[in-house]
Amino acid sequence: MTPPPAGPLSPSPGAEPAKRRRERWAIGIVAVLVAALTFFEAHLAAVGGAVAFSSNIVIFALINLNVVFVVLLIFLVTRNVFKILLDRRRNLLGAKLRSRLVLIFICFSLFPTMLLFIAATNITTTSIKSWIGGRVGQALTGAIEIAQERLEQEARALSPAAESAATGLSETVDPATFPRVLESARTQAPAGTALLFFEKGAEVARDGEVPPGVRTEVLNRIKAMKDDGGADREGTLIGDEFAAAWSRTPGGVIVAAVRPLPPAEAARIRGIARAYDEYHQVRLLDDPIRASYIGILILITLLIVFSASWMGIYLARLITVPVQLLAEGTEEVARGNLDVSLDYRSSDEFGTLVASFNRMTADLKAMKGNLEETNVSLTKTYDELRRRTQFIETILHSISTGVIVIDRHGRIAMINKVAEHLLQIRTDGAVGRMYREVLREEHYEAIRSLYREAGEAARGQVERQVELLVGEKRIAFRVSLTALRDDAGEYMGLVAAFDDLSQAMRLQRVLAWREVARRIAHDIRNPLTPIQLSTERMRRKYAADHAEDPVFAECTQAILSGVNTLKHLVDEFTRFGRMPIPRLEEADLPVEVRTVVDTYRTSHPEVRWEFRQEGPPRVWFDPFQIRRAVTNLLDNAAAALEGRGSVTVTCTHDEAAGKARIEVADDGPGIPPGDRDRLFEPYFSRREGGTGLGLAIVSAIANDHGGTVRMRENMPRGAVFEMEFPARPPVKGNFGSSMPGNDDGRRGI
Amino acid sequence: MPLGVEVRVLIAFFTLALLGFLPGSSLARPPVPGISEVSGTIGGGEARVRFTLRNAFTPEMVEALKSGIEITFKTTVEVERVYRNWFNAPIGRVQYTRSVRYDALARVYRLHRDDGDELLPDVLAALDRMTRFEVVVPVTGDVEKGKHYRARVRARLDKVGLSEPLRSIFFFSSLWDVETDWARGNLKTS
Repeated sequence: MTPPPAGPLSPSPGAEPAKRRRERWAIGIVAVLVAALTFFEAHLAAVGGAVAFSSNIVIFALINLNVVFVVLLIFLVTRNVFKILLDRRRNLLGAKLRSRLVLIFICFSLFPTMLLFIAATNITTTSIKSWIGGRVGQALTGAIEIAQERLEQEARALSPAAESAATGLSETVDPATFPRVLESARTQAPAGTALLFFEKGAEVARDGEVPPGVRTEVLNRIKAMKDDGGADREGTLIGDEFAAAWSRTPGGVIVAAVRPLPPAEAARIRGIARAYDEYHQVRLLDDPIRASYIGILILITLLIVFSASWMGIYLARLITVPVQLLAEGTEEVARGNLDVSLDYRSSDEFGTLVASFNRMTADLKAMKGNLEETNVSLTKTYDELRRRTQFIETILHSISTGVIVIDRHGRIAMINKVAEHLLQIRTDGAVGRMYREVLREEHYEAIRSLYREAGEAARGQVERQVELLVGEKRIAFRVSLTALRDDAGEYMGLVAAFDDLSQAMRLQRVLAWREVARRIAHDIRNPLTPIQLSTERMRRKYAADHAEDPVFAECTQAILSGVNTLKHLVDEFTRFGRMPIPRLEEADLPVEVRTVVDTYRTSHPEVRWEFRQEGPPRVWFDPFQIRRAVTNLLDNAAAALEGRGSVTVTCTHDEAAGKARIEVADDGPGIPPGDRDRLFEPYFSRREGGTGLGLAIVSAIANDHGGTVRMRENMPRGAVFEMEFPARPPVKGNFGSSMPGNDDGRRGI
Repeated sequence: MPLGVEVRVLIAFFTLALLGFLPGSSLARPPVPGISEVSGTIGGGEARVRFTLRNAFTPEMVEALKSGIEITFKTTVEVERVYRNWFNAPIGRVQYTRSVRYDALARVYRLHRDDGDELLPDVLAALDRMTRFEVVVPVTGDVEKGKHYRARVRARLDKVGLSEPLRSIFFFSSLWDVETDWARGNLKTS
């Protein structure tokens, strides 16, 4: 798996962080604006009744703006909520936790806020209703009536003074009688009472101190009375600062006895009057006030709910973002990417956790690097060991010597194919098993015996020639056994090497036979010619004398016949004993072989001859010797078929293996198993009149070409002789190493 | 969603709110207040303009007045010389404020004018004083006899005097929206 490119993991890829920051700012600003506008609108009238707003553009804009901002807040929060739900549906990391947290926050804020809203609305409505209810109204009405009654009583107490002055004045204010009138009025007026005299809407005289405001108020009240047409002669006036009684003279002069109220009493009466006014105003504006309060509560509720929701989203993100980052980082680490680094900085526990994660991945990366270096080193070492082992195994499998390596515990550590073949060991699972279990008892005892000898030997090495039973044959081996010891002399195991001596012995036999043949040929050829010549002379000289006697003729003929036979035998012996060194040349092997086959096809028409060719034709070989070898093989095949059957000759050149192969397959009676081992030995023949040298010569030619000749059964019947030799000559040396030769290219006899 | 889309949604919402709110509130208004019987004389450096304010007090306003809420009207009177083939020339302008409040303790209506206060015994008298005007407008330039002079008058509800607690609730708003169109009347030269 290819790890993803290295790099820090951020809370959100691409432009998402900027977008979220922008969103947070927008929500924050909107929330603040909504709060501010809500504060202002706390002073606004809500819609209801006959209240009109169209003339007040500022109010209208403020309300609309506030609604817009509330809608924007709702939109932003709702958008976030939907986004969380969408993430949850997409199964994004952290979406479930975030949605749960947001839901919890919303519930925690929504339920109490709604309860508070309902309670506050009810309380507000109830309070306003109770405020404008009958009892308060009655109490306030009663209070102001009491105040009025109190002032009226005060004013009525002033009536005698006003009336006395008016009576004394008669029609107008006469300066001559005015002091007496005042004197008379004072006797009837309570203390602190002032007398004001009005004529034609203006103050004409005054007795006593009265605050200017009270004087103005009394004057206005007098003026207002004048509009009545002057029907009343006397009356009272009350105000929040005074009580007064007035009396009209027949001449139209109005005398007012005024008593200003003490400041404390005036303040209490003003308070009563103000409360009365407020009550009636509240009663009148009941619906707008209630609507205003409810509107404010709604705005506050919305603000709380959505602010809490946003806070929930924010807190959820605060929690889930590092969790999501950690999850993604862990996943990256699980995928093998140790270059991951989480880009999250915070002073809280999440920041510590993320920092620990980053340290952990860095440590893991360092450890992985060390491990990889170690692994590379080990791999190199292992490769070197394997290369060496393969080299050793290749050597072991390439040599013609069977080798068995046994460790100190007696287990087979290594065994090559030659050893398996020579000792006929089934090697499946042989390695690692005790060699006692793998080897035959005889072979095991032989190795044990040699091991004991090796232990006694100075260099821990012993070499013996032993005959072991392999299959049903006893084969001569040269066994070399070496005990392995380390530098400290500790025993580590042993190596047993097996060399099959049968081939060497056969070659020795061949050499011996060749020497015999050479001697026989030398010793027999010399007397044969005198015998032949003498016999022929005898026949010429004495044939007439013994014409009647057939014995003479028969005997001489028998001698001549025997001499010819012996000559033929000597010729064969001579050819066998004087095999030349092959003169290699690059020639067309199939052509040479086909020529021989064609010859036999002509001489043995009763046999079906078939020739096949596979691979390139050009091969290095000695054409004369190869034709001779093929001739011998075809001669044997024709003889085996006894005039009926088929012979298939196949020429193969395996370029990859660098081998040329000539196969002669017949469907004759085949070779009995008992004769197969001696087939290629000289003078072994089951055929009547055979010299037993044909296959020996084939074997010698094959050997001289650096090859071999083998025989195997043909299926379903018959025999196949397979001669194989290198298609190209070796770089150095000569063929025919099996045969000692002379420098003149002739084998010594 | 891109920010541009959000802005477009807000603009659309605001526009719809404007379209839906303004006509609705206008249609819900009571009988239209107006000014009638604009007349008067001009001469001697001043113009005396008389006019009557009609439908200015809705039943709710009358009730509010009885409840002690002070109601203030501001009238604007302009005097102009009228030309037949040219733009009219303003020669005088005055703004006149008149307010009324019920004094529950004294059981009188207190009328406040720029030229002095007045106490009125009942609501009918108070409404009569609040709706009938005779205003003196100083004019500039000579008044030529036989020329065409005209007075333009407009009135609107200036403010509503609520008690202290209610003022904090209705800080920015006027409870009622009363405003007349310009009414015109010819002035006689004297």
